[in-house]
Amino acid sequence: MEFVNSVFVKPFQDMAGAPDFLLQVLWEGLVAGVLYALIALGFVLIYKSSRIFNFAQGIMVVFAALTLVTLYEKGVPALLALPLTLAVMFALAVAIERVVLRPLVNQPDIILFMATIGITMFLIGFGETVFGGENKAMITEALHIPTGSYTFEPFGGLVLIEQKDLTAVVGAVVLVCCLLLFLHRSRLGRAIRALGDDHQAALSVGISLSTIWVLVWFIAGVIALATGIVWGARAGVSFALEVIAYKALPVLMLGGLESVSGAIVGGIAIGVLEKLFEIYWGQPLLGGNTETWFAFVLALIVLLFRPQGLFGERIIERV
Amino acid sequence: MKTNMTRLALSALLSVGVLGAVPALAEDIVSLPNLSYRTGPFAATGIPLMNGQRDYMTMINERDGGVNGVKLGYEECETGYSTEKGVECYEKTKATGIVTQPWSTGITLQVLPRSNVDKIPILAPGYGFSPMADGKVFKWAFNPPASYWDGASMILRHISEGNLDNLKGKKIVLLHLDAPYGKEPIPLLQALAEKHGFTLLPIPVGVKEMQNQSAQWLQIRRENPDFVLMWGWGAMNAGALTEAVKTRFPMEKFIGIWWSGHDGDMKSVGEEGKGYRSLSWSVPVSDSQAMQDIKKYVLDPKKTEIGEGEFDWVFYQRGVLISMFTVEAIRAAQEQFNTKVVNAEQLRWGFENLKLDEARLAEIGMTGMIAPFETSCDNHSGHAGAWMLQWDGAKFVKVSDLLQADQTEIAPLVEAEAKKYADANAPWPMNDECKM
Repeated sequence: MEFVNSVFVKPFQDMAGAPDFLLQVLWEGLVAGVLYALIALGFVLIYKSSRIFNFAQGIMVVFAALTLVTLYEKGVPALLALPLTLAVMFALAVAIERVVLRPLVNQPDIILFMATIGITMFLIGFGETVFGGENKAMITEALHIPTGSYTFEPFGGLVLIEQKDLTAVVGAVVLVCCLLLFLHRSRLGRAIRALGDDHQAALSVGISLSTIWVLVWFIAGVIALATGIVWGARAGVSFALEVIAYKALPVLMLGGLESVSGAIVGGIAIGVLEKLFEIYWGQPLLGGNTETWFAFVLALIVLLFRPQGLFGERIIERV
Repeated sequence: MKTNMTRLALSALLSVGVLGAVPALAEDIVSLPNLSYRTGPFAATGIPLMNGQRDYMTMINERDGGVNGVKLGYEECETGYSTEKGVECYEKTKATGIVTQPWSTGITLQVLPRSNVDKIPILAPGYGFSPMADGKVFKWAFNPPASYWDGASMILRHISEGNLDNLKGKKIVLLHLDAPYGKEPIPLLQALAEKHGFTLLPIPVGVKEMQNQSAQWLQIRRENPDFVLMWGWGAMNAGALTEAVKTRFPMEKFIGIWWSGHDGDMKSVGEEGKGYRSLSWSVPVSDSQAMQDIKKYVLDPKKTEIGEGEFDWVFYQRGVLISMFTVEAIRAAQEQFNTKVVNAEQLRWGFENLKLDEARLAEIGMTGMIAPFETSCDNHSGHAGAWMLQWDGAKFVKVSDLLQADQTEIAPLVEAEAKKYADANAPWPMNDECKM
């Protein structure tokens, strides 16, 4: 009876008893969710256009953020360092397409996946040689990201909203909107989607595979930079940032590997649900740290009923 | 043909020369492997520690030509703080190394039973399994100058103003990395909580959550504890401090163990982290003779390079002290066994007979950098004291007198847990030579 009470009654009593705290939990979950969605988007874009699961997305976040911070440390003004970092990410996209992907055209998917692991290893080694392994502070102020906080007192309680987090959420929403507009309204965006739908058909109408690959890897680089700035502002920029990419895996399982909207909805759903579960069930009943596995369990449950994920395309192969 | 003959003769000469040189080299160098981590999620904290270790040994080689003429062969094997890679590194280096420095509690626990068989001393300064302090049970393991349980005891004595009964009714959160290192103080803290009537609430932080600790700090906000103690490492420290600032948790109630007091981590919070304290068994004294010699013999001639400002960091200078333990153990063993090139067994004796009193610290130019301590066959930790360092917005400064752990509370637990470990790993070879 006590168990039933602690699982089905007490958590809801706690929520009702401290609604301001619940609001804070929901806000923190939303922020985390938007950030997970941002990482997942990088994976989705590349997978959508090339059927490659980009294992290097995590290290690209680190690489982009470290490039930005290092340029600033070398005396480049922040607003110039930003486009220069984008130029570096573009150069990286071109190099990956020329050196890694082009020679592997028509190879099985697993070979391309392994190639992205190779890119990860290279970027780790190269990055550590160039940037060193030390923790660097994100140049939040130089980028004019507000650092204060807003205080609200709903239900006689307290809700704190960091301006940094608010900026991250707004920035992520703007980035996603631009991306959706680009994918649906521009010629190149339609070409990316066409490649995702049918490679051979897209090639037959003159869409250049190499141009699109460079483009999607560059967009993934832009997303990586945005992710790096936002996460780096939370706890500094170091190679530890790479592990946050793993948070995108359950998002992809939940939302589907090919769906931009799936990445967004999946990211936000996981962010909010894992936070609620950790605070109201995980910490009191299981000793905490449920965030490391909760999202995977949730995604697996969804996969039981929808193997393609919530928004993924259902693939039917007739034999 | 003639050319071939000449090449052959040259090769033969070279071979003879090289082979002939082997015994001479072997006599002059001792191999001191370090299972380091300069890569991966914990690199930011690992790098200054490894740099400090490397630079002290380089300085001894450059300034003195080694220890009594024996060069220190400092070699790193990269683990990335991964236990699996750490074990691989141990296996790779055990044939030549006369010591192993596992650099993580997880790796230490893995190599602990192996070192007994391989007869290689483990040096785990200020980390590892706390009961390793019991030299009668752990013949080959050393955790000078203090164990995590010593650290936990010192922090509690400090916040209770010397009397743990003052903590009665208080709530203390232990924010810890969800790894063997982070869990290490829990048995002692739980025992002390029961005895002195305070509530202990451990809150784990997973490696993937190090940079997003909002759930942990929401719980801290809900629990409203009197103190938060942190056993954090790598990016977890910066992540926790950022969240503490964000949730407006009073910094004076937030105290970290010695691995949670890294200048590099504090960069992300800067001024806002003012008031945060970290227990430390080492204090940076940049104008000490030893540090100045490192500058003169290693850094200025660009034998090695370190980051800007790193020379004054707590972790860099702690790395220097850690290498000093090995150097002093080698020196003691050389004297005891009347030999130049000591082997692993002799070095074990050296670690067991470290005598770092004020006079010796002054002699080696390290006055004030560490509290005096000595080890013995039954005390492999030394139970040295430590100080509270406080972040002033730009650097850590010493804000307490020397703190000491309460051994009357720790010793019974050390003995019980050491026995439990030996029983669980029976037949466990005890240190029968130790009659203390």
